[in-house]
Amino acid sequence: MKKWFALLLCLVLMVPAFALAETEITLWTYPIGSWSKSDVVDEIVANFNAVYPDIKVKVEYLDYTSGDDQVTAAIEAGTTPDIIFEGPERLVANWGAAGKMMDISDLWTEETSADIAAAGEAMKGICTAADGNIYLYPLCMTTHCMVIDKAVFEATGAMQYINEDRTWTTEQFQNAMKVLADAGYMPGIVYCGGQGGDQGTRALVYNLYSAQFANAEHTEYTIGSEAGIKGLTLLQQMANDGTIVPDPAIVAGDAIALFANGTTPTCFCWNAALLETNKASLAEGIEPYAVTFPSDDGVPVLDGGIWGFGLFKNDDAAKVDAAKKFIQFVCDDPVQGPKSTYATGYFPTKASFGDIYTGTEKAGNAEYGMFTQYLGDIYQVTPGWATQRTEWWNLLQRVFAGGDVASEVAVYSANVNGK
Amino acid sequence: MKGAFLMTKAAKGGTALSRANQRRENIAGYLFMLPSLLFFVGFVIFPMGLCLFNSFFNYTMTDFSFVGLANYKELIADPIFRTALVNTIVIVLVSVPVTCVFSLWVASVIYKMHDRYTSLFRCIFYLPVVTGSVAVTVVWKWMFSPYTGILNYVFRSLGLISKNINWLGSPDYALGCIILILLTTSVGQPIVLYVSALSNVDHSLVEAAEVDGATNLQVFWKIKWPQIMPTTLYILVITTINSFQCFALIQLLTSGGPNNSTQTIMYYIYYNAFKLSRYGYGSAMGVILAAIIAVFSAMQFKLAKSDNG
Repeated sequence: MKKWFALLLCLVLMVPAFALAETEITLWTYPIGSWSKSDVVDEIVANFNAVYPDIKVKVEYLDYTSGDDQVTAAIEAGTTPDIIFEGPERLVANWGAAGKMMDISDLWTEETSADIAAAGEAMKGICTAADGNIYLYPLCMTTHCMVIDKAVFEATGAMQYINEDRTWTTEQFQNAMKVLADAGYMPGIVYCGGQGGDQGTRALVYNLYSAQFANAEHTEYTIGSEAGIKGLTLLQQMANDGTIVPDPAIVAGDAIALFANGTTPTCFCWNAALLETNKASLAEGIEPYAVTFPSDDGVPVLDGGIWGFGLFKNDDAAKVDAAKKFIQFVCDDPVQGPKSTYATGYFPTKASFGDIYTGTEKAGNAEYGMFTQYLGDIYQVTPGWATQRTEWWNLLQRVFAGGDVASEVAVYSANVNGK
Repeated sequence: MKGAFLMTKAAKGGTALSRANQRRENIAGYLFMLPSLLFFVGFVIFPMGLCLFNSFFNYTMTDFSFVGLANYKELIADPIFRTALVNTIVIVLVSVPVTCVFSLWVASVIYKMHDRYTSLFRCIFYLPVVTGSVAVTVVWKWMFSPYTGILNYVFRSLGLISKNINWLGSPDYALGCIILILLTTSVGQPIVLYVSALSNVDHSLVEAAEVDGATNLQVFWKIKWPQIMPTTLYILVITTINSFQCFALIQLLTSGGPNNSTQTIMYYIYYNAFKLSRYGYGSAMGVILAAIIAVFSAMQFKLAKSDNG
């Protein structure tokens, strides 16, 4: 009798446990704006749990130094997270193309697709892999630009070479760098010690003579064109003249630090979120002033960044369902969507969210919206992206070491295009 | 006769008993070893076997097909691998002897000091080992900085250089800088070991040699050196392996650049496996590296044995 009673008691006690059974999903996020801060992400998760209390979200934070290694190891070990937050170069061109991601085209409803297309027509194509599957659902986007110290540029007279609309031509850029060098300042540092922030050096090179980094079909890297070689040759010449400083020992993070502490008044890696994250470390008197990359025709093409969510392949339907609910809540919810985007410091990929910065603590970010008109092709989805990134800074190192530009570019093109 | 029979029986019984005891002790011994043996097999032997196995496959994120020795053939033709191999051997050939000689010199100076000072110096030299390679590397990166680094400042103040040098950005200096940092993180443990080994040298032999008129060099070479030889051998092998596996410094400071001037086999393995997802090719490199380390270690054992002999 006692045994039966004990058994019954156990069953009764287990009922609430079954009733409250939660689905646990894991989110791995790269440091996209404030999505690297646990208090910010915890608040987003708390908002999600207020609507979906039965879904537990476990968050792990990746960095750009070792994050890719962690994901690679997880893929091989079969321990990938349910959701990952990053851009199309990883989610679509790398892991998606390798068959590790799940098609999430069902999240692209007619309504959301139209909203996203209104913000950027090419967006859906960028999130779609060559196999036709969609591996990314976008949350935010930005254009990468460069930054100058307005105070130094004005003091030296170099400011005259920057147009009102913050553009400048290749010739104006050369003149400005010369003025800075002659005034004893360290002109722009072309970092090439690794792949960190390489979007800056790519945009610098391909804008100088309006080259294309990859072809429109995204099948080949085309910086080996005449215009690309011309751009690299100019930089090599400027390095020899001392009007730019090549540094094969640093990456963008170091270059930003050198800008922030006043060592150089020019930095080739900047965007709206970087303004926020570096505000506190700016030395006194430095006035960061975002400008476009110089181009021969004065019409720049800026590298774009899109970040969003993808799902790793998963057989657990409950987890997939929970993960999709999370993505929809974070990206589509009319209240949470703008908040999630605001946390990144970038701009919404949905036209309906409008201007999310004016009148807020991040009001300074709003002015970066002016660069969106120069947003170029998202060529990062071209196959061989991982190889390209390493080959790029190695190419710059060889060029700045005095290598023959045409020959070095030919080596680069052969390595990245597999020819 | 009967007594002899009984004694034989007892002896047989005793042998059987001792064999049983022996067996029981052996089983107990193996059981005690089992946890570490399982750990060793699971985390050392099995991955090594798997690495060898994978090296015969085109193992990527999307493919796993048998290619025989193709990865090894590709390695031989790969100019970056050859550069990495040369750089790795340079690191080993410079850092191992310098680490051993420097450690022995420091140890022979500090082991005679008062215990308090010996401990102090042991701590000082051991600090870079316990500090962690990331922190040490960050500090060195600041020191090497061509813009704000103290090294350029000191050298310019002393008139040794006329303009700042980009130490880590120059193919002429980068590998030397890596070796220098490696030395600072490598000498701590050998110094501690040598201090201990020198303290354990039989002093009666030293005193006897001194009474017989032996010079300091003779005392060291004939009395102390043979007695610290096992420690030397251990230090040689460990330092060689650590130098061959130099990775963190490269990853944190130069990523193998500029122009592959600091590329090492370990970093190139990492690059192929983790950046390009070419696990099979990386495994083939791992096998070659293991073979080279084995050959170097065997040579060191052989040399040390002939020195002892």
